[in-house]
This record gives sequence, C-alpha cells and structure tokens, in this order.
Amino acid sequence: MTGRFKYSEGREADSEAKVKALEDLLITKGVIGTTSVDQALSYFETEMGPFNGAKIVARAWVDPGFKQRLLSDTAAAIAELDFPPGMAGAEGEHLKIVENTPAVHNLIVCTLCSCYPWPTLGLPPYWYKDPTFRARAVREPRAVLAEFGVKLEESIEIRVWDSSAQIRWFVLPERPAGTEALSEVELAALVTPEAMMGVAQVSA
Amino acid sequence: MQTCFEHFAATSLLGSEEAPPRDNGALCFSHAWERRAFGLALALSKEGYFEWEQFREALIDSISRWEREHELDDPSWSYYHRWLDALMTVMARSGLVDRAQLGAIIGATELAQG
Repeated sequence: MTGRFKYSEGREADSEAKVKALEDLLITKGVIGTTSVDQALSYFETEMGPFNGAKIVARAWVDPGFKQRLLSDTAAAIAELDFPPGMAGAEGEHLKIVENTPAVHNLIVCTLCSCYPWPTLGLPPYWYKDPTFRARAVREPRAVLAEFGVKLEESIEIRVWDSSAQIRWFVLPERPAGTEALSEVELAALVTPEAMMGVAQVSA
Repeated sequence: MQTCFEHFAATSLLGSEEAPPRDNGALCFSHAWERRAFGLALALSKEGYFEWEQFREALIDSISRWEREHELDDPSWSYYHRWLDALMTVMARSGLVDRAQLGAIIGATELAQG
C-alpha cells in the first residue's frame, strides 16, 4: 500500500464522517427533513436523465404512429408519454428529433452548453463543449464520427445539427437488426446518450 | 423558462470546470459520501438557506485555490472534496449552523480558513 493511498483512504473516511455529521445536525435542527437529500438526488437518478430519451426512442421503434408524431411534433409526442412534469416544459418544448436512416446519419453539436437537453440525454460528456470538437464536427463530421467508431459509407449523408436556446436536437438512432423479439423496456436499455447525440450507433 | 430548482442548479454548473463528474449521462460518484454531499447542497439551497449562485461561486473559488496550490496533474485532486469545502464555506457564511457546532464537525482550523 502506497503512502498516497493510505492518505486517500483516511481522507475519504474523514469526509464521509463530516457529511454524515452535517446531515444529521441539519435534520436534528429541523433545517431539512430526513428525506430532503434523497429527494434532491432522486431528481437526477430517477426523474431526469438519459433513460427518458431512451424511452422515447424505444417507443418510436415499436410504435410507427408514435414515431410519425414524434418527427412531426416532438414536444406533443413526448407529452403523450408518462414523464415527470418539467421535462416536456422547461426543456422539452424546444426539443426536436431527427431520424437516422440507412441513407442519413445525424449528429448534434451545441454552441452553448446551457442548451444541452440533459433531462432527455443526461449530462453532457466532457468533450462535448470542447470548441475543437464542435468545429471539427461541422467541418469534417465523417472523420470525427470515424474516431468515435462510427464508420459510415461515403454514400450515407451526414447532417450536423446545432442546438441552440430555441431548438435542442436529439437523434432517433436506427433500431439494430435482430431485436424483433425484444420488449420496449429491453430496447430502451440498449439506447445510450451517445447514440442520441449521433456519435454512436445502437447495437444489440 | 425554468421552473424546477434541480434543473436550474444542474444547468448552471454545466458551463465550465465546476461541472460535476459524469459518466454516460449520469452523475458519477466515487464514494457514497460524495452523493450525499451533492444532495445536501441542493437540498439546502432549494430550501432557500443560500442562493445557488453563492454555492457555485464558492465552488469555483475552492477549485481555483486548489489549482493554485497543486500541480494540475496532482492525483489527490477530488472534485467532491472541493464541493464539500464550498458547502462548508457557504454554510458558515449563512449562519445556518452555529459556528461552534460547525467547527466541531469540520475542525476549527479549516473553519478559520473558510
């Protein structure tokens, strides 16, 4: 065991004790309730996150009528699903989905990170706000996608969409082959945030 | 239009280096206490005990201070230790908890620095 590691273990135990003591004190004093912290966490862990986008995608894969409505009026279609309030409001009203097909691949970029539709896609990855990524994604999307492991035939058109305060794009990926027997819930589990940004494809 | 505090709080952190660690779209915690500390800061600000912006500024200050005092590749870097430091700072300033009680928890030296 290295000295650094020992130091680190002691530090974690110390921080754990501090946070526990703080929360206990605040609850004892009646400043917060016993479930206040869990409630704040549940917002991120169960209400808002990439699992919402995955649900939308899976529904579109199994329900052609929903998919049509989603493509023509994204917000109205999302409102059909049973999401917590807030998603279709604060962010969802600006959401627009674009569909990947055998002929077209979509990629989304963002010029301001505050525009990222994280209640649907989850929190943005580190590289997403890198100006180099954005500039290259617009200039040479095929090369950028290849670096992400998405190697597309020359015949496939690539469309790059820039999210803004007005429109937050996300991608409806192609349903992978061989998933006919999967349920909607099983399909949703295959969908990653990166697939909904267009920098990955969904695989079964 | 932003109607939900948690939404506003998370969005305000996404701009820069004060953004929390994340993996595959989700918050990413290395230890259980980090998750509690994250939720605690949100819960307190949501209840109105301090403005989220005060916390965000304290977090940025704490990160800057660490960066001045350490090499950028120092492996002892921990985002949530900066988070906890910022939380202690805003709690001490807010008068939410008696300074003596807070000092007993976090240690008198650290409080003096805050």
